[in-house]
Amino acid sequence: MNVFITGAAGGLGRAMAVECAKRGYNIVLTDCDEIHLVQIKNGLLRQYDINIEIIVCDLTNKEDVDTLIKKIDFLNLKFDMMLNIAGIDNEGAFMSRKYDQIGDIVKVNVEATLHITYEILNRRNTPFNIVFVSSLASQFPMPLKATYAASKRFLFDFALSLGVELKESKVSVLTLCPGGLATNPTVIEAIDAQGFFGKATTNRLEIVSRKTIQKALRGDTVYFPGVLNNLFRIFNNLLPRQMVANLIHRRWVKSQAKWLNTNNQSMANMVKTPITQNLETKGVI
Amino acid sequence: MKNQTDKLVIVTGSTSGIGFAIVLKLLESGYSVIGVGSKAESCQNAKIKITAQNPTAPVVFYNANLANQQEIYALAHNIKEYLTLNPNLKLHCLINNAGGVRDWYMTTSEGYEYQFALNHLSGFLLTYLMVPLLKDGIVIFTASSSHKHTRIHWQDIMFQKWYFVLSAYKQSKLCNVMTVKELNKRGIKAFAVDPGLVKTDIGNKGMTGITRWFWNIHKKSGTDPEVPAQTYVYLCNRPKSLGLYYYNSKIASYNKEVDKDSETMRLFALSEKLCGISYKERISS
Repeated sequence: MNVFITGAAGGLGRAMAVECAKRGYNIVLTDCDEIHLVQIKNGLLRQYDINIEIIVCDLTNKEDVDTLIKKIDFLNLKFDMMLNIAGIDNEGAFMSRKYDQIGDIVKVNVEATLHITYEILNRRNTPFNIVFVSSLASQFPMPLKATYAASKRFLFDFALSLGVELKESKVSVLTLCPGGLATNPTVIEAIDAQGFFGKATTNRLEIVSRKTIQKALRGDTVYFPGVLNNLFRIFNNLLPRQMVANLIHRRWVKSQAKWLNTNNQSMANMVKTPITQNLETKGVI
Repeated sequence: MKNQTDKLVIVTGSTSGIGFAIVLKLLESGYSVIGVGSKAESCQNAKIKITAQNPTAPVVFYNANLANQQEIYALAHNIKEYLTLNPNLKLHCLINNAGGVRDWYMTTSEGYEYQFALNHLSGFLLTYLMVPLLKDGIVIFTASSSHKHTRIHWQDIMFQKWYFVLSAYKQSKLCNVMTVKELNKRGIKAFAVDPGLVKTDIGNKGMTGITRWFWNIHKKSGTDPEVPAQTYVYLCNRPKSLGLYYYNSKIASYNKEVDKDSETMRLFALSEKLCGISYKERISS
């Protein structure tokens, strides 16, 4: 089993790499963070008897992707599974960000994901599994996370359609929609700032990574981890979207104020550390 | 006060809690100290607190995230350089005190479970890197009496199936005591210290909600960090002490699992593999 994983140097991507290695799959890991890519490769090779290739690549850069594809073709690799984990979240209020920060969200979460998916689909074995990481946020209109949530909605709808298009070619497509994932200490701080609901909507990383692979192999199309998150989703469908947007706006304003309070000394770094912490995946490309 | 400033002691996790109290006590007793902290800012604050009382205190702080093995190598490199620049200093003792708890399953750069990597592997690797400098010096690990109520979970040592913060914590502390046992077999004088219940922030960092609330109540019945700090100084002053596990400067009883050679040897071999090192090679060379 050959698995291709993007955004593999940190967060959910790294946990997925661990899960695949544990299952004995051979993996190709890509990320723009070379140092951590090397470290995860070493860590996994010390534990598991598998083949690992790492390819440093900024998926938003066409030349990088071309080089990546050349390397894959040179190694004559074909894949059985693809995990699209790379994603970023730079958000606060739309107008409080530089435009590039907003544009990057779409570039990474949408454009880059489509590009690499297209290339890997052309190098697939049959049957083939794809996992897209959307988000619980894809289900709601999200003031203060507007572009991010919309980019995840794009993936959510795209994945569903792609799955139907490719069903006859034995490609099955799973969309993972997690709430928060406590992947690093900064994210834990952000979850904490959201109070009870922050913690309650946070999913367990070890469970999400295991079940995602299980469900993908079983041919499921959507995975919302956590009972409470599912209740939210169902409840949301019963309410007018305008009302949901207002409710969510109120909640984010509060939790962001609290988070800013505890982190006021690092205001200068806000551009790098977004106000609304990225709860789904660490900012890796 | 005895003048023994030529004796250098390294204390990890030394910017707060027990570690900081140890640094103060060691300086009082006339030792030179290198402190290690995970955040540059807290290192600076710790240094300021000390030099405000005594501007010439022989202490420096290094900043390293010990959950990341590359940073442990970098730290070891810096310490070696420091010793070369200060040829009058002799490394007398390494105190592996850094540790923490995490509410959630998280992976480190190498893809290891966070508490296992930070509480156990970091001290294991740093000790290995310090052995050539230690000569007849000693190593002390901060353990915990909670290590008595567990065993090594060989079937899932990184708790990838179902993570629970206390299970992971207890196991990591058992690993500390087992490491001490094996180091002594290899001619490296090592001790484990049980600090008892201490009023520190260990349960407040990286934790959320109920666990934090529980810790805030629980720690009220604990001692001040100065109390366990005395045990460390006691051992530094008597490096030839015979015991393996100390509480309140006295030999105390530990988990029977530690006396099972098969268990400790298996753990030692696995830890060597996970750090990519071999103690045997180092000592014979």
